[in-house]
Amino acid sequence: MRALKPTNTMLKGILASILFFIAVNAEAQLGVIKMVGPNTGQYSFGIGAYVKGIFPVSQAADLTLELGANLFFLNDGGTGDGTAVIPIKAGYRYSLNGTGMGFYVEPQVGYNIYGVTSENVDGYTKDLTFHGLVLAAGTGYLFMAGKTPLDLNLHYETVIAHGGSDNYVSLGLTFYLRFGKRDTDY
Amino acid sequence: MKQLLPVFLITLFLSSCLKQTIADAMLADSEAQVGVATMSYEVNGNTVTTSVKDPDSQSPTAYQLGCSKTLYYGTTIPIYSLDFLSTSGDMGFIFYSDSLSVGHYALNGSYGDTFVLNYYNTAEFVHDLSDSISFNITSYSHGHISGNFSGRLTPMITAGNPNNTYGAPGSVLITNGSFKNVPVFY
Repeated sequence: MRALKPTNTMLKGILASILFFIAVNAEAQLGVIKMVGPNTGQYSFGIGAYVKGIFPVSQAADLTLELGANLFFLNDGGTGDGTAVIPIKAGYRYSLNGTGMGFYVEPQVGYNIYGVTSENVDGYTKDLTFHGLVLAAGTGYLFMAGKTPLDLNLHYETVIAHGGSDNYVSLGLTFYLRFGKRDTDY
Repeated sequence: MKQLLPVFLITLFLSSCLKQTIADAMLADSEAQVGVATMSYEVNGNTVTTSVKDPDSQSPTAYQLGCSKTLYYGTTIPIYSLDFLSTSGDMGFIFYSDSLSVGHYALNGSYGDTFVLNYYNTAEFVHDLSDSISFNITSYSHGHISGNFSGRLTPMITAGNPNNTYGAPGSVLITNGSFKNVPVFY
């Protein structure tokens, strides 16, 4: 009988599932994003979403693992043109007051699992697919709205591939899917 | 970890300084791979130029810029015809050769009236004995030719073969002519 041989995709999925299951906290966000940088004037505001696993390493700091999807809409005369990226990132979130709440900073590094830009080239829509390194830096404010923990945040992110970069800024409000207790009283 | 944050932010900033988006970088790579054929020259100091992306994809029988092997009209004599079309008109030159190679090719008035180019609806000919047009093929590799050319032509004022009316002999100077990466079709 032939043994079932796991593919790379399956292994990645299993690993991601394990990591999210062992996460103490998880959160999800829907936000507004804007492509910035050279030759991005035809991009309008886009939308972004992510789920994030949070692994506390101290009262003030968390390691984070984030899987996102960002869509940017391009007004270049084509139909349905724009850019989509699906980055997975690991980060270190550090709250400035040391409580795990309030203002924080979060550098992240990761990999763009899939990216595509569809744009009008000589009258035809051309799909350009890419991967690439992802670097991001974010800041935000963790607070309680009643008994609901929220995170209002601002991120700057860049995807680097093929000698170019897609850079964007996102503003989002994060909702916690599951929230473990810290020592902080909330 | 705190000490690493400035290093990370500087890295992020510098990576964002790449001057083109990923899509632009990929398109530039794509153009570099498929190549661009160019031709330019000056007609009495006025520049005529054009470029054709992916010139090999042009039709061998209907192209904007190319050189094709054919038979001289009404004969079985093989020739190579270099043809170019721009917004100001068209241009043509015949290499009288069975086997195109790097070298010097020239026509002068002693060969009889020969059409060379059309510049904003004025046909320019090798007509007068002082007229000439000469091409240098400086490279011929992988089915593409590059080189330079120059000439002295006479404008045709009114067509009425065999009694065409010509303007001032040698009054049209072709200078700074160059062609690059022009495909040769067989």
